[in-house]
Order: sequence, then C-alpha cells, then structure tokens
Amino acid sequence: MTATAGAGLVVEGLEVSYGDVRALHGVDITVPAGSVTAVLGANGAGKSSLAAAIGGAGPVDRGRIVVDGEDVTRWPAYRRARAGVAYVPEGRGVFPHLTVLDNLRAMLRRAVPAADRADALARAMDTFPVLHERRRQAAGTLSGGEQQMLALARVLAAPPRLLVADEMSLGLAPRMVDVVFDGLRRAEDEGVTILLVEQYVERALDLADEAVLLRHGEVAWAGPVGDARAEVRSSYLGG
Amino acid sequence: MTTYLVTGLVVGSVYAIATLGIVLTYSSTRVFNFAQGAIAFALAITFYELTVDHGWNPRWAAAVTVLVVSPLLGLVLWAILFRRLADAPSSVRLVSTIGLWVALPPLTGLIFGRDERFAAPSAVFDPPHQYEVMGVGVDSNDVAVIVVAAVAALLLTVLLRATPFGLSVRATVDAPSMAATVGVNTSIVSAGSWMISTTLAGLAGVLLGTQRGFTLPQFTLLILGCFAAVVIARMHSLPLAFAGSLGLGVVQELSKSVVVGDFLDQFFERQSVWIRGLPQIIPFTVMLIFLLAYRGLGQERFSTDTRRADDAPTVEDLDGPPLAWWRRLLPVAVVVVCVLAAPLVLSGLWEGIAAKGLALAIVFLSYTLVAGSGGMLSLCQISFAGIAAAITADLATNHGVAIVVAIPIAALVVVPIGLLAAIPSLRVGDLYLALATLALAVLVDNTYFELPSVNNFDQGVDVPRPEGFGDDLPFYYLLVACFLVVALLVRNVRRSTTGLELDAMRSSEQAVATIGVGIVRSKLVVFGLSAFVAGVGGALFATYSGRASPEQYSVLLGVVWLAVVVTWGVRSIVGALLAGLSFAVFPQLASEHLTGAWLELPTVLFGLGAIGLAREPRGVVHQIVHGRRTQERARRQRARLRATPSPVPAGVEGGGA
Amino acid sequence: MSPRLEGRGISVRFGGLLALDRVDLEVADGAILGLIGPNGAGKTTCFGVLSGLVRPQSGQVLMDGHDVTGASPQRRARAGLARTFQRLEVFSGLTVREHLVVAYRSRGRNVATRIALDCLGAGRRPFSGEDEAIETILDRLGLTKLAAAPAGALPLGTGRLVELGRALATRPRVLLLDEPSSGLDADETAALTELLRSLQAELDLSLVLVEHNVDMVLGLAHRVTVLDFGQVIADGTPAEVRASEAVQTAYLGAAP
Ligand SMILES: Nc1ncnc2c1ncn2[C@@H]1O[C@H](COP(=O)(O)OP(=O)(O)OP(=O)(O)O)[C@@H](O)[C@H]1O
Ligand SMILES: [Mg+2]
Repeated sequence: MTATAGAGLVVEGLEVSYGDVRALHGVDITVPAGSVTAVLGANGAGKSSLAAAIGGAGPVDRGRIVVDGEDVTRWPAYRRARAGVAYVPEGRGVFPHLTVLDNLRAMLRRAVPAADRADALARAMDTFPVLHERRRQAAGTLSGGEQQMLALARVLAAPPRLLVADEMSLGLAPRMVDVVFDGLRRAEDEGVTILLVEQYVERALDLADEAVLLRHGEVAWAGPVGDARAEVRSSYLGG
Repeated sequence: MTTYLVTGLVVGSVYAIATLGIVLTYSSTRVFNFAQGAIAFALAITFYELTVDHGWNPRWAAAVTVLVVSPLLGLVLWAILFRRLADAPSSVRLVSTIGLWVALPPLTGLIFGRDERFAAPSAVFDPPHQYEVMGVGVDSNDVAVIVVAAVAALLLTVLLRATPFGLSVRATVDAPSMAATVGVNTSIVSAGSWMISTTLAGLAGVLLGTQRGFTLPQFTLLILGCFAAVVIARMHSLPLAFAGSLGLGVVQELSKSVVVGDFLDQFFERQSVWIRGLPQIIPFTVMLIFLLAYRGLGQERFSTDTRRADDAPTVEDLDGPPLAWWRRLLPVAVVVVCVLAAPLVLSGLWEGIAAKGLALAIVFLSYTLVAGSGGMLSLCQISFAGIAAAITADLATNHGVAIVVAIPIAALVVVPIGLLAAIPSLRVGDLYLALATLALAVLVDNTYFELPSVNNFDQGVDVPRPEGFGDDLPFYYLLVACFLVVALLVRNVRRSTTGLELDAMRSSEQAVATIGVGIVRSKLVVFGLSAFVAGVGGALFATYSGRASPEQYSVLLGVVWLAVVVTWGVRSIVGALLAGLSFAVFPQLASEHLTGAWLELPTVLFGLGAIGLAREPRGVVHQIVHGRRTQERARRQRARLRATPSPVPAGVEGGGA
Repeated sequence: MSPRLEGRGISVRFGGLLALDRVDLEVADGAILGLIGPNGAGKTTCFGVLSGLVRPQSGQVLMDGHDVTGASPQRRARAGLARTFQRLEVFSGLTVREHLVVAYRSRGRNVATRIALDCLGAGRRPFSGEDEAIETILDRLGLTKLAAAPAGALPLGTGRLVELGRALATRPRVLLLDEPSSGLDADETAALTELLRSLQAELDLSLVLVEHNVDMVLGLAHRVTVLDFGQVIADGTPAEVRASEAVQTAYLGAAP
C-alpha cells in the first residue's frame, strides 16, 4: 500500500476528452474510506464526466482511478460493479421496459450475495413504498421521481463499497429528498465511501465531510466542508 | 386437405425454429437478423456435404452441424460483426445483417461448390415409422420436427423469462450501458444469444433441407415465413412467434391444395400466375393484416424500435466537424469531371456499362432519399423500378405513348403502390416498414412480374429510346443530366425544413408532435418521392437496355442493391453514383476474368462491404472525404453522448440568461 | 372571458391506477400557474393531457373556450400551446439553433406547399423574421455561443434551456414547463426565474410550471394548484398554499 492507503477512492490526473473537446484536465481527488465528498460546480463543469469515468460508463484518456487500493482504470464497467462500485447515472438509471421488480432484481443480482437478495429487495421496497405498489409496472412508465427512487433504491438497500451518485435528488419532491439524504447518512454510517454530485448544494454540504469544486474541468478548490460554503458562494458569484 | 395440414405443421415448425432465433437475437441485442435464412442455408449445405459427400452417418452429421458448427459460426459472426453492432447506431443495426444475407449464399457456393444438391438421408428416423392419424399418413420424422420446435420454444421462453441469464438478456437489450454498470457482462450475454440463435438456424436448415431439399428458393421462402411470424410476434413474443409460424405454415400449405387451386381458377383469369405465387403472397398478406390489427391496439404495445433506452444518437446524425469548403467540393468535382469525360476515353462496351451504372445510380438515389434523409429502410425500391420499367414499356410499345411522357407516368403510378406498404407500417416503426416493403417486393415478384404480358415469356418487352438519343453517347449524357437533376432534388430535400424535421423525428417523435410537426406525413411524402425516383431510374435503366424484363428487378437483387448503396454511403449522393457504377462494372469485370462459383465474387464483396458498415457506418465515401482521424473523433463523440449526460466544451458553459 | 387554457374534470386511468381524478385547472391570460405535488401525483400526466399526448378517459381541455380534447398535439401546437419535457426530449442530431428553426417553421406554410418548395431548393431560405426571432431567443437564454453545438451532447441543465428555446420559437401563447429548473444550480435557477418572469410579461404568455423547487415556484406563480394521488388537494395563491396544512403534510415534509 502506498499513499493511497486508507482512501476509499483516489482519482489521479484524470483527463477525459470527447473528440477535440476536453472535459476534464488532470483532476485529482481523494476520498477517505467511509467518508462523503461532495462535488460541486456549474452546469458543464465536468461533474458528470467525472462520475461516469469512475463508474466505468465514460471514457478515460489519462490518469488513474483507484478503489480501495485497487487500480480499476482499465476495468470494464461490469467488473467494477461486481467489485462494489455503484454508479447512479444522472436521470436515466433504470431499465425502462422491465418491470420495477425485474429492475430491482437485475440491479441487485451482482450487488448482493444470493442469500441476502430477498432481504435487500424487501428493504428497497420499504425505503420507497411506492415501488412496491408499482412492482408490476414497466419502469419507463413511472413518473420521473418514481424512476429516480427506483434508481436509488438499490444503493440504499444494499450499500456498496463505493457509491458514485450523479444528481440523486433530481426530480424528487422535497419529502423524498429527505428520505434520500437520510438513506445516505445511514450508508455512511455503514462505512460506504460516497462521492456525491449534487445540485442542492446546501444539502450536500450538510452531509459531506469534504467538498471539491470543479470549474472548466479542473479542481478549482478542495477542502473540508467547513470552509466550503464561503468558497462556493464567492466562486459561484465569480464564475 | 388434412395432408396439407400435416405438412403445414411441419413446415410451420421449421419456420418456428428459425423465427425463435430471430426473436431471441432481436430481443437481446436489438439487431434484426435478416440473414437467419442465409445462415440456415449455409449450415444446411454443411450438413449435406458431410453426409452425402463425406459419407458421414446422417445423425452424426446433423449433430455436428447443429451442435458444433452452428454455435461456432455464431461465435465467429459475433466476434467479427454482431459484437460491433452493440455500439452501432440504430440504422446500422438495421442494415448490417443484410450484408450477411447477401454474402453468405454465394460464399457457401465458393466453399462447397455449386453442384446440384438432391435429397439427403433423413437425420432422425431412416426409414421413418409410418402412423395413421385420422386417416392421414404421418411419419415419425414429421412428428419429430414438430416436437423439436415445441421444445425449443418452451426452453427459450423459460430461459428468457425465468432464469438469471434471461434477466440479464432483457436488461442488456433495454439499456446496455446501464446493464454494465450494474454488473452484467454484456459481451457474454450477446455472444450467448447469437450462438443460440445460429444453433436454431442450423437446426431449421437441416430440417428444412432434409424435408424439402437444399435449394436457395426453399430458404428464401423460409425467410419470408419467418419475417411474417416475427411481425405476428411483435418482435418479442416467443409463444406468438411459435404459434404464428405454425399457422403460417399451415395456411401456406393449404394454399397449394387442389381445392384452393380450383377456387382460384374460377376466380382469376390468369390463374397460373396467382396460384404459383400464392405461397409467397401469403406472408405479405398475413403481415399486412397483423400490422393493421396491431395498429388498432395502439403504439405502446409495440416494442418496435431498433433504438435502446440509452442509445447514443445515430452516427449519421453526427457528421463530424464541418470540413473546409474545398474538401467538401473536391470529391464532387473530381467525380463530375470523371463522369463527364468518361466517354472520351472509354470504348463502346465500357461506355455502355457506364451508362448502365448511371441509370442504376438514379435508382440508388432513391435509397439516399428514403434511407439517408428519411431514416427509413425500404427493401422494395427495386420493385418500384421494375414496375415503372414494365409500365413504361407497355405504354411506349403497346400504346404508342412517347417515351418521355411514358416514364413520368409510370413513375407516378408506382407511388400509390409504395404507399400501400408504407401506410400501415410507418406508424409502428422502421423495422416494420423494412419487413412490409420486403414482403411487398416478394409479392410483386411473384405476381405482377409473372404476368405473361409483363414477363413476355422471359423475353421482356421492348422499350424505345427517346428520339435523338438513339446512340449511346447522347443517351449517356441524357442520363448524366437526369442524374444531376435528381441529385439536386435529393440534396434540396435533405437541407430543407423537411430534412430537419426528419432528423428531429429520429430522436423524439413526442417533441416533434408538440412543436406542431406532423409525424407521419413528412415521412410518407419522402417515401412517395423516393418511389417516384426509383421509378424514373428503373424506367431509364430499361430504356438504356432496350427492354424491360422483370428478372432484372427481383427482390434478392434489390437486397444486393441496398448492400452496395450502404457500403458507399447511404447519406451521400456521390456514394449513390459510385454504387451505381460499381454495380455495373464489377460484374462485368467478373464475367471477363472469372468462372464458375467465382462469378458471384462481386456479390460477396458487396455483402462484405455492407458488413463493414459495423466499423464505419457512414460508408466508404465519408471515410475518403473525412479521413481516419475524424472517424476516430466521431467515435469518441459517440462515446461522450453515451456517457450520460455529457459536458459542454469547457469555457462555454451554458447558464441562465 | 374564457381562460386561455382550461382543464375540466380530467380523469386518466392507467390499468388499475387512477392517475388523474376529475382534475380542474385553469390558466388565465398572462398568468403563471404553479402545479406542484408529490412524486407520482399526476403532474406530468396532466401536461400530457393538456398537450394532447395522453388521451383522458373523461374530461375536457379548452383553449380560449374552444374544446380541443380530441385535437392532435400538432393542432394544439399551432393554436399556440408549447411545452417542455421532464425527461429531456432534445433532437440529438440537430444543433441548438436548428431546434429553434424547426420549431419556428412549424407554424409556416402548409405541408404540401412546403415540401414542394423544399424539392425545388427553396427550403433552406429562412422565413421572414426568422433570423431575428431566433437570435433574440438564443440571446435571452444565453445559448448564442452554443448555437452550433449538437444538442445531444449538452448537459442536462443546458438541454432544458434548449427545450425552452424550442418551445418559445413556436411563438406560443401558453407554455407548459415540466421541472425547468432541475439540472440547474442555484444561480442558474435564479436567472431562469427572472427570465420567465420577464418573458411572461413581454410576450403576454400564460405559463404553467411544474416544479419541485418550492421557493422558485411559489415566488413566481400567481396561483398554485396542488395535486396528490391524482386529485386537486389545494388551489389558491402561493401564500395560501404554503400555509395549507394538507400541502405541508402531503408535499413539503420537514424542511421546505
Ligand atoms: N403509462 C403509464 N402506465 C401506468 N402508469 C403510469 C403511466 N404513466 C404514468 N403512470 C403512473 O401515474 C402516476 C402519475 O405519474 P406522473 O408522471 O404524472 O407523476 P408526476 O406528478 O409528474 O410525478 P413526478 O414529480 O415524479 O414527475 C405515477 O404513479 C405513474 O407511475
Ligand atoms: Mg413528472
């Protein structure tokens, strides 16, 4: 083990480009194991590219991604998922033509050992009771918020090793946002390492231990949340 | 009558086995396998060679073919073709397997020779036991076929609906990148489904071959039956696919019965044509009936689209970064100069070949219009061309209409015929349009083209050239002029508001509707226009050759046409021109230098070209013009679109006002 | 005078689920109506019915007093109704500017004439007034720099603005916005709020706003209708709605 010991997630010199367009230039982030880091930044600052790259769903040009001491940069997405990396993409994290029940089954199959699967399924439906009511409905016909609940249910029900969530509260009514953040807090208590991309800055900072501010694909600021609020305010107004 | 019922069930069971494979790969990869029949054919021939030529025990040969060769072929095809299709845009997924359909039969000929193949010994019971059921003789082989089909249907249904593998399959097809992020190894899933599917094709091939003989037409009929069954199954229901296939087999066989024949004899004057064509007409009719019936059910019930939930936009949508004007115009200029100057350097024969290529290029522009701009896959452009040619010949030769008047009239007549296939299918989805147009083409082939007055006992009907253009040279330039006019029209449509609307429709029909744009109307208009263009091209082709003979417009040739066009680039006008020329030139070269099975080499190449689309969806022309680097860029761009959602260029962040 | 857009007794049933249950709602000339409610309350379904994408089992939709319940989405669009989508529906192959062009031209000539002109090559020429109108919208939304960017590659928040621009380009009189602020950060949301306020005044728009950003919607709307389980549970001014007990428990939860 090297300097990355004790870190749940290390991103080193991450560069991502799409054709001629650079989305991330050399991003470094370290998330200590079992802690929460919030990634903030304006629309298009590169937050989603970062999350997708860690989840294995987006391209990586250069740099390393290390999860619990293991370099996963070259791993395909499915291998990362099986190793305990849960990536919740922004907006479309469901299988639209599968029923809610099949969605949860497919999502939990690789995340939970066979013996616990039934429990995990029940927990997912407990967290969001509406999913139980709609279990035979095709996920694509759920309301926007219900789809988001479905996408989140699996990570709240079966805490992964590393959770990378892109705009978890998207489209959720205020009461449901509470439920989600409660769930995250519980996950943190269980030792999950969390990287949170969030538009509700205040809420994210309430939960997080550290914050990273991205601007134009670079880390503009990083530090403990205590200092983050002031930084965020000035940087948003300036940026 | 009952005899036909039994044979119908047997034939239907074979359809069912092949259809299950199509449905499986469609519902696991959203690739519609047009080549299922061709694969079945290739594997049937393999079986034949093993038993008859190499003297293997038929059961062994069948087992090896179905259980070893078939899945291996599936694996190989997956590795070189289907695997790449996972990331390909939906339109490419639609046409890619057509290349395979084109290339595989002649390739089989190249490998195993093209000798006459007769019956092979049965692979199951030889000699079969005979039973008597309700006064009809049934043999054990018939029973075996039906049982095998039923078991296959049952197993597959269980596999898809009730096993973890099935869940992974359904998840993968719904949203592949999402499936990967929850831990599904999508490569294994898709390779597995393709191997199962080719195994089913092999099974169907061996059964059909031993029952019906090892000839290509038998297998073409198989394809049609399968496609109709696929429509009945709405692309995804295995039980419906099974039942539909059986029903279709029965209806098809019954149509051959004497009773039906007598009835039709009384009904139609030109009896023989209609009766001979009946088995081929039935799939189309059934397809139409079901399309209309399903349309009533409303759209949500269809899983029609070749698109998947997290598909990136189609690649043709992303033409890459704009090029400098000279790089855009240079290829056009070079081609125009070459075409204009060609007669100066070409000998008489080759001048004629070039003229033929030009006439074809005009037909091919109709693909540019319908598929390139409209995003619709039509497989009956060749029938439009053929019908227009026949009508032109009839008008000019038998009714004394001036040829310049006859051509546009004929092309206009074609339009409503095209709409017959387009109207019921367009609303339900691109794939249905492809199948309906294919069926229409087969229908035309087996009915209209068989009429004595059209076919003229395989002689064709004379078509005069317009006055003043009797010689090849002026006629050549007339064709050049026609091509340019049509090309201009195609370009105008593409760059117009209608073109924009068609592009928009590919992403979101809902959004298009709510900004006030009619969804079906623009598509229908473009489809009709393309039929007209195909008609003009077909008539000019006939005028060039001096006669309109239907065998030059057969369905399967049309499929090859499509393969050629997409190889060069279905969005490109220059592509259509080069496609036309190469379609005229290559076979001529082949006939000068090759013999035997090798004569089909151009067809193989055309097919392989279309398969190559999986690597470069926009065709050869785009590759030449834009070069390798931009290809790579476009690929990355797609990757970005897939990584949901994606950033804007840093520094140009969009924000509130 | 009849309201510009009105829904009367709209019910929608999906299988065993009553997604909308005799919902009445009404948008006056030049008014902003907020439509809020928990997830799955039926807000998006309601937009579907108003814009013609979802057929109601019963009830009526009226524009300026005319019954348009049976009219196609296209007809309603031409009558001045535009909307955006909760789940982004941008045309991924088109540039940002082309979105506005398609939308602007959809209210032009009839289809037959237009396609004839298209074939002759007249289809590329902008309509009269088109360029200025589009530049204005792009400018107002801050999309000028992105005009030539392919829309499929934009981040969510920017995509929302493109949809808004596309809707505006149809020159609507009624605009339905489904969660326009989701995907935007706090500053962008503030900017959008200002923009909507001023657009509404300048263009005499009637706006219907579905939002979970309570501060935004209560700040902007003149009236608010609250849905829960497909039924209207409250209807009134923002202040009334905020004070309503039913809304507090059903929707706002602990911290508004
Ligand atoms: N096609 C459908 N089939 C079955 N149920 C549906 C269908 N469409 C919507 N529903 C259900 O109707 C209810 C209302 O959905 P709707 O999308 O209108 O909610 P919403 O108020 O927009 O919620 P959100 O705030 O989450 O977007 C939901 O419970 C949803 O599951
Ligand atoms: Mg909604």
